[in-house]
Amino acid sequence: MKFFRSKAYHLLLGAIFTVSVFICFATPIGGSFNDVVTLKMNNVSNITPVKATITASSYDSAAKKFYQARDLYGSEKRILIDRSLGLKIGDVIVAECTYWPSDDFYEAMRVERVNPALTFPLIQGLGELGRNMLFHVPMSFVAFIAFLFATIYSIIFIRKKNMEYDFRARAASAIGLLFTILATVTGSIWARFSWGTFWNWDPRETSIFILLLIYVAYFLLRSLLEEGEEKKARIAAVYNIIAFVTVPFLMFVLPRITQSLHPGSSGTEAPVINLSGKTHTDPILSYVLWTNVVLFTLLFIWMKDLYTIVLRKENEEL
Amino acid sequence: MLSPILRKDLRIELRSRFGVSAIVMFLLVTVTTILFSAPGEQMSSSIMSALFWISLFFGALTGLARSFISEEERGTAFMLRLYAEPEDVFWGKYLFNLLLVFSLATCAVIFFAFFFRDFVVRDWGMFTLQLLLGAVGTSSIVTILSALVARAAQKGALLPVLALPVMIPLVIAATDSTRITMEVANSWDGVRGDILILFSFDVAVTLVSYVLFHVIWQE
Repeated sequence: MKFFRSKAYHLLLGAIFTVSVFICFATPIGGSFNDVVTLKMNNVSNITPVKATITASSYDSAAKKFYQARDLYGSEKRILIDRSLGLKIGDVIVAECTYWPSDDFYEAMRVERVNPALTFPLIQGLGELGRNMLFHVPMSFVAFIAFLFATIYSIIFIRKKNMEYDFRARAASAIGLLFTILATVTGSIWARFSWGTFWNWDPRETSIFILLLIYVAYFLLRSLLEEGEEKKARIAAVYNIIAFVTVPFLMFVLPRITQSLHPGSSGTEAPVINLSGKTHTDPILSYVLWTNVVLFTLLFIWMKDLYTIVLRKENEEL
Repeated sequence: MLSPILRKDLRIELRSRFGVSAIVMFLLVTVTTILFSAPGEQMSSSIMSALFWISLFFGALTGLARSFISEEERGTAFMLRLYAEPEDVFWGKYLFNLLLVFSLATCAVIFFAFFFRDFVVRDWGMFTLQLLLGAVGTSSIVTILSALVARAAQKGALLPVLALPVMIPLVIAATDSTRITMEVANSWDGVRGDILILFSFDVAVTLVSYVLFHVIWQE
């Protein structure tokens, strides 16, 4: 336990966080040749990033050179790439590609990266916006974990009648509310660029909005109770537990059975967390995502402990 | 073999008839307001089920909130604490509220069927089942939360603020299943998911309320 209060731990946490944020933003996104064709045919975009391995160099044209390249699904295509890069057989490229159906070849308009250490897969319909997922999903996940912590502390408080657990429950609810707001804001910004509006009452948006209402009501109830501190804490703990009964319904059940545009709900592609295993899940992407979930959870625990200390000191002054 | 608390509440109710008449008046006023604000309008089944459940939920919040608040206001809560076990108080109040919600739901169905041309239920069996499940959930949430706000300032305003967000899963599932029973004659396939949500929500909320009641009730 002492390690989690040491300076070394906080420095380590900060360092891992910096690396993770860097990876989330700097890793190039590359799809398959099939993505280029699909997105072009559906008039989504003419140019799509592709990750491919050079397998053979073919003949030259003026400023560009034809290569054979294999994408992540193993389909091998002809691709026209700038000759000045001097690509060798076995090089991996991530390039913005377009498709020329008349002659059946692909053209790399801009080569983003040669031999990248890490790549994320392209999620059709999300593209670069998919990076948001690496923050938005952990935030909503941690909001759930925070409310779970708050409920567990409330139960312990009711059993032990020790004010310390009330401070912890209050701190966990407050930080959980903060993470819910963050998840709402990141989701809303994403919705602006993906769906066109900041807010359009999608089932996911509705349920997170209700979640915000519930925990705002929790703090409102605390402020309106006219009792002693201990009784007040007891009533608030009861509301916290009742409120948590609805949280799984709001976060896990309702958004999955109602029709929604949100990725991961019924009828849409689930990029990372899909229990049915229908869609292809990239191991690197889910590895980075789960790392972020762990990091955000550690961040939550740190913030919650700080706020508990503040509440404890405030109570001592009274 | 009725619980004494339930018997006491029923006797007070029979003397004053305040709860039932308040509920009937509330529903009449709501239905009239809807009729006047949308005269001669063709209403789809989704709007009809939404209006039906909105009037039910707000009716329940106004009618049922009295159970504990009136005990606090008349100063009889202390007596109850002295003479009865918390479990008996909870089940008595819960059953009384359940009876009130059932009468509220019956009144609402009668009024809606009488006043609205578009209120056509095609599957009465499923409709009754989901109505009962919705009523049970509403009653247990309102019972525990009205006991909870009885001690707070501004009780009247606080109860809807606390109760409605918690009831939202119930609202969503109930409006959806009502809409389906109004549209399809053989609706089991359509409403199965909603019925499951309603049932699990009812069980969870009722158990949690029962377990937690003595925490609020004790001084």
